[in-house]
Amino acid sequence: MRSALLVMIPGVPEPISPAATKTIGVRSLRRLAALAWLATAMAIALVAPAGSSEATTVKVWFLQGEQLVSVDRPGSTASDAVAALLAGPTATEKAQGMRTYVPAAAKLNSVTVVNGVARVDVTLSFALGRDAQSLDARLAQLVHTVSGLEGAKSVLLLVNGGTVYGMFPGIVTSRPITLKYLETPNVPASHPAPPSPTGPVAGLLESQQKLAALGFLLPADADGKNGPQTQTAVLAFQKWQGLDRDGVLGPQTQAALAKAQRPAPITQGPSGRRAEVLLDRQVALAIENNKVVRVIPVSTGAPSTPTPPGDYKVYAKIAKWWSTPFREWLLWAVPFNAGIAFHEFSEVPPYPASHGCVRQMQTTAKWMYDFSVVGMPVKVLTTSQ
Amino acid sequence: MRRLATIASLALLALSVPASAADPITTITPDQLTVGVSLPSDGFEVGVAKGDQVTYAQGFDIDLAREIAKQLGLTHVAFVQSPFGRLFSSGTKPWDVAIAQITITDQRRRTADFTQPYMTVDQGVLAAQTVKPVPRTLAGLRSLRLCALSKSTGVDAAKTVIAPTKPVRIIGNVPTLMLNLQTGRCQAVVYDAPSLGTLKARTPDRYGPFVGVIKTGEQYGIAVPKGSQVLTAVDAALGTLIADGTIQRLQKKWLTTNLAKLPTLR
Repeated sequence: MRSALLVMIPGVPEPISPAATKTIGVRSLRRLAALAWLATAMAIALVAPAGSSEATTVKVWFLQGEQLVSVDRPGSTASDAVAALLAGPTATEKAQGMRTYVPAAAKLNSVTVVNGVARVDVTLSFALGRDAQSLDARLAQLVHTVSGLEGAKSVLLLVNGGTVYGMFPGIVTSRPITLKYLETPNVPASHPAPPSPTGPVAGLLESQQKLAALGFLLPADADGKNGPQTQTAVLAFQKWQGLDRDGVLGPQTQAALAKAQRPAPITQGPSGRRAEVLLDRQVALAIENNKVVRVIPVSTGAPSTPTPPGDYKVYAKIAKWWSTPFREWLLWAVPFNAGIAFHEFSEVPPYPASHGCVRQMQTTAKWMYDFSVVGMPVKVLTTSQ
Repeated sequence: MRRLATIASLALLALSVPASAADPITTITPDQLTVGVSLPSDGFEVGVAKGDQVTYAQGFDIDLAREIAKQLGLTHVAFVQSPFGRLFSSGTKPWDVAIAQITITDQRRRTADFTQPYMTVDQGVLAAQTVKPVPRTLAGLRSLRLCALSKSTGVDAAKTVIAPTKPVRIIGNVPTLMLNLQTGRCQAVVYDAPSLGTLKARTPDRYGPFVGVIKTGEQYGIAVPKGSQVLTAVDAALGTLIADGTIQRLQKKWLTTNLAKLPTLR
C-alpha cells in the first residue's frame, strides 16, 4: 500500500521522499511556502497537479521517531482530517514505526473554521494524561493536521465546548495555537554532559590501543587518559561482547579485550560507506568498504516505540533538528527513515529508550554525522548474533 | 516546629468543634459547595471551563474542595472560574468559598474573610533559558527583567525583596506569565514556589534553573465573602483535614517537587 509520507525538515533545502515507494504530498506546497522553500515548491508545481485540484485527500500527522510525519487519508474538510487523526495509524503504518499520541478514547464533537480560526471540539480524553511529552505531541499532531484546511491559520482546542486551562503543560491552550508557534524553537539546545571520569586504570594506554585497533576507539584518542571517549569505546565494546554495560575497564572487560577480534559487518554490502544498526546489541557499525570503521554505542527505540528493522538510505544531514512534537533539539541528526534518525541526545542509557530514533552520545554524534553521506545505506537489524 | 505546633492545636480544635452534619450549612445552591477558582495553576488547579462554569478540573485545590464538601455533608461540588483578584475582592460572589493558593494578608482581610491557613509556602524564582550565567543571589537578580502575576504576593516579593532596576512586569494570568518566561521576554518569574517547582518538574526543558526561594512564609487560606455564614463550618472542616493528614496526602499527590532542597536567596 502506497502512502504519501512527508517529514518536516526545517533547514533542509528540499522536501525529501524517505524511500522510493513514498511520494511527496502535493498539499505540502503550503508548508513549503511557509518555510520559504518557494523555489523548490514551484519546481514541484510544474510537475505535479495543483493542490486545490486534488481535494480528495487530506494530510494527517502522526509521529515517527522524534518528528511529525504525514499520511494521506480520503476527505477534504478539517472535520475529515481530525476524524482520521483520531482513528490513528493503520497496522501497516504502525509497522513502519508510526504512532499517535491521541488517546484511543478521544472523540470528535465538531470542527468549525471561522475567520481562519479552527475551533476543534473534542471529548475530555484528548486532554487527560500525566505525561507532558505525550500531551504536547498530540496537540502538535492536531494543530498540524487542521492547519491549512478550510483556510485555518490557527487552532482553538475546546473540550466539550469549554476552554482548556493548563491541561497541556507549557502550552497556552486558552487561545488559538498556530503551527508556526509549535515549529518555532524556543529552547536552547541542551548539550549532554560527558560521562563522569573514573579512577586510574592499570595498563590504560595498552587497552586503548587495543580498542583503537579493533575499531571501538579512534586512534587519536588512545592518549593514556581515561576520558569520555575511552568510556564510550569501552561501553561499545561491552555491548558488542555482551558484557555488563558500565563503561568501566574492569577485569572482565580487560580479559575479553585481550582475546577479542575486530568486529565484522553482519551483512555484506556495497563498497563505500554504510551503517548497520544492531538492535540486539545496541550498537551501530560505521562501515567502509565492508570493514567496520567504528563501533558506536546507541540507544534505539524503547519497547513501546521500537525502531523498525529494514533497509533505508540516509536522506539528509541536519546539524540542528527541531522536534516540533516534543519541543526539543536533536543535534547532529542523520535521518534515514522519515522521522527516524541518528542524533545526539542528552540521555543515552545502555538499553533501548528512544522514540524510535538512534540516540548517540556527545562523544560520537558529530563523528557519525561527518561519516554519513546522503544516500548512504542504513540497515536496521533485529538480531546480529 | 511551628508547623507541628499548629497542627497539634488544630487537632484539638477539630475535636472541640464536631463536624457540622447535625447543623447543615446554607450554601448558594442547596446540598452543593460552590467553589471559586482561577484556572490554571500547575499542580493546584487545571481544567476546562465554559465561560465561568468549570466543566472539568483536577489538582490539589480541586481535591481539597471535594474533601471539604464531604466534611460538610454536601453531596455536590461545583467550580466557578474567576480572575484571581476577584476571588478575595469585596462584594457578593457566585461561590461559597474560594480556593486558589490565596495567601492570607492583612490587606485581603479587609475585603474577604479567611479560614485558618492550610499550607505555608515561599515565593520561588524561576529563570528563563536565555539567562546566562544564572544569578544565584538577590543582588544578581536585580538587573533582570522580572515578571509576576497580577495582584499576587509575587509582585510584592519582586518589588520589595529583589527591588529590580527595571520595573516588574505584571502579567494577568499564569499561562501568559509562563509563555513570556519561555520566550525570554521575562528573564525570571517570581511566583509561588510549589507551582513553579511543579511546572519545572513537568517540563524541565522549557525553563532555566529554579534559582531559589524567597522566604516569605506566607500562608494559604480559603477565602469567603466578607461576613459569610459558612466560614465557621468550613474552617472546622479544614481543621479536620489538616489534623487527619489529608492535606499532606494531597500535597504528595499533586505537588511533585522537593522544595526543601532549593537554596534560599539572600
